[in-house]
Amino acid sequence: MNYFRYVIINIIGTLLRGFPLPCKTGLRIIGNPNRNSPVFLTCNFTVTVERVKKALQGMDAYLLVANSKGDNVWCSATGGHFTNHSVISVIKTSGIEELVDHRNVVLPQLAATGIQERIIRKKTGWKAIWGPVYAKDIPEFVENHFDKTPEMRQVEFPLTQRLEMAIMWAFPFSIIASLLVLPFKPTLFFPLNIIIWGWSLFLFIAFPLYSKWYGRNKKTSGFSKCTVIFDLGFVPVVTWIIFMIILVAGSIAFHQFHIDFIIGWGITSLAVLLLISIDLMGSTPIYKSGLHEDRYLKVILNSDKCKGAASCEAVCPKNCFDVKQGRSASIPRLDECVQCGACIVQCPFDALYFESPKGEILTPESIREYKLNLIGKRLVKVNKQ
Amino acid sequence: MSTYVFMKILESAPDRYDKGIDILSFGKLSQAYDRLISHIQKGQKVLDIGCGTGALTIKAARRDAKVTGIDINPQMLDIAKKHAEAFHLSDRIRFIEAGVAEMESMEAKSFDVVMSGLCFSELSEDEQAYALKQIKRILKDGGMLLLADETIAGNFFLRAINLPVKIVIKIITYVLTQTGTHAIRHLPEKVKKAGFKIESLRFNKMQDFIEVTAIKYKEAGS
Repeated sequence: MNYFRYVIINIIGTLLRGFPLPCKTGLRIIGNPNRNSPVFLTCNFTVTVERVKKALQGMDAYLLVANSKGDNVWCSATGGHFTNHSVISVIKTSGIEELVDHRNVVLPQLAATGIQERIIRKKTGWKAIWGPVYAKDIPEFVENHFDKTPEMRQVEFPLTQRLEMAIMWAFPFSIIASLLVLPFKPTLFFPLNIIIWGWSLFLFIAFPLYSKWYGRNKKTSGFSKCTVIFDLGFVPVVTWIIFMIILVAGSIAFHQFHIDFIIGWGITSLAVLLLISIDLMGSTPIYKSGLHEDRYLKVILNSDKCKGAASCEAVCPKNCFDVKQGRSASIPRLDECVQCGACIVQCPFDALYFESPKGEILTPESIREYKLNLIGKRLVKVNKQ
Repeated sequence: MSTYVFMKILESAPDRYDKGIDILSFGKLSQAYDRLISHIQKGQKVLDIGCGTGALTIKAARRDAKVTGIDINPQMLDIAKKHAEAFHLSDRIRFIEAGVAEMESMEAKSFDVVMSGLCFSELSEDEQAYALKQIKRILKDGGMLLLADETIAGNFFLRAINLPVKIVIKIITYVLTQTGTHAIRHLPEKVKKAGFKIESLRFNKMQDFIEVTAIKYKEAGS
């Protein structure tokens, strides 16, 4: 384990988190594996690969890095860059089949939006086991005989991840802003960067405080097209109004009130705010992006088709499902759903589908075949009911 | 994430893929493909690996060949199917959603020609080796392998001249098609190593585009 490399990649990866950072695909050897050692698989986002390698430290295992065009597992699987083909290809071409006697591969759970366990088995004979959401849970998962606790299946948005997301937005914009102002008005450099970094950090660090108002009651999805501009509704706007009040009050208090100063910073700060909050919801793992049409969809369960396979329960990152052994599933926590579609993709009986508010149906086949592009458009027509 | 702005304008990449690629190659790609398919005879069975929107596939089918196109992108294949219909070639072309790693199920010695345009450069080294092995298996004795792809000039000065152009083209390519292009290294050597005999090699002036035609000879003892 090369700690220097780990730290450098994490720093670069965090600063440029919004961009793909691909690494070489293929086989990685962890420790001294033998013919019975477990095989793990992940995407080729360099940061993810480093984190998985760190989680596997001390174990003897094989790690397959599959092509996801350098994006993280969840985005690439949902966006059609991390597919059945990526997994089949790395299994077939990496030489792993000659190295182990078993045919089990642990896939990251969040890849379930794009990779079908059944297709992998049919095309390669390998059995896909859904591993935990977070790489750090892998050792416990292995100790647990490859069984997941509900906690291991759940996506969270802890402080460290919120900081990563704040940096993801702030860094590129601070670079662009700095390049724009430095040649002309260097004095603007510090105030502008303070606004960009301060606001990004504030919006993400304070996220649990204000998300409570919107969150669970599901009003967010009724928030209309405006959410594209003011994602998460009016919270960013409220922070802007507070900022303006402080700006005006401060300038009056210090006898520096100039109307062009106020207007100038008013417009600048609003522009900054719009840029950093353009996809606030989509930057969290617990809301569907405000840019994605899928946020209006609802998962529907056809109980007649359900035979209690519980594949939905195994892949749902919000633990929405309850499946009593051998009986039909239920969705008691449907209001937690982030419309990722993993349950629909995996269901062996096609018992789940999406329904739009207009009553249009997105069939399991179309969800499996047509992925979301970066602006959340699924390139497929829906069937009218 | 910052590409949102571009995406908003472009929305769906596959639609623009053809135009994007054609503009970026200044129409040279189409000429290269024409040279490649000139080796195809009437009635031959042809496989197009990484057919994308079907540019090469359709050219081959217009020479009265029976063509199978494989690609991993279902949206590209949808467009390819539409193109095939527009040329009334649907009965001569079959499109399958599959990658090179899924060629195992194809019958041995079942194709006269295997061709691939701008696909090998998107494969990893492992995948390239695997693909060449499979191609050799499914080609008939005396069958042809036709490749056209981006490569890296061997000449240092040409590389230096290419670099700034490359960077600009890379950015435009990404915006238009949302796929990166990676030039392939040592393609003729790889083809040779896989047991083919190189028939002809052609580089463009800047030496960053290569066309390979190779032949699978009958193996001794088989």
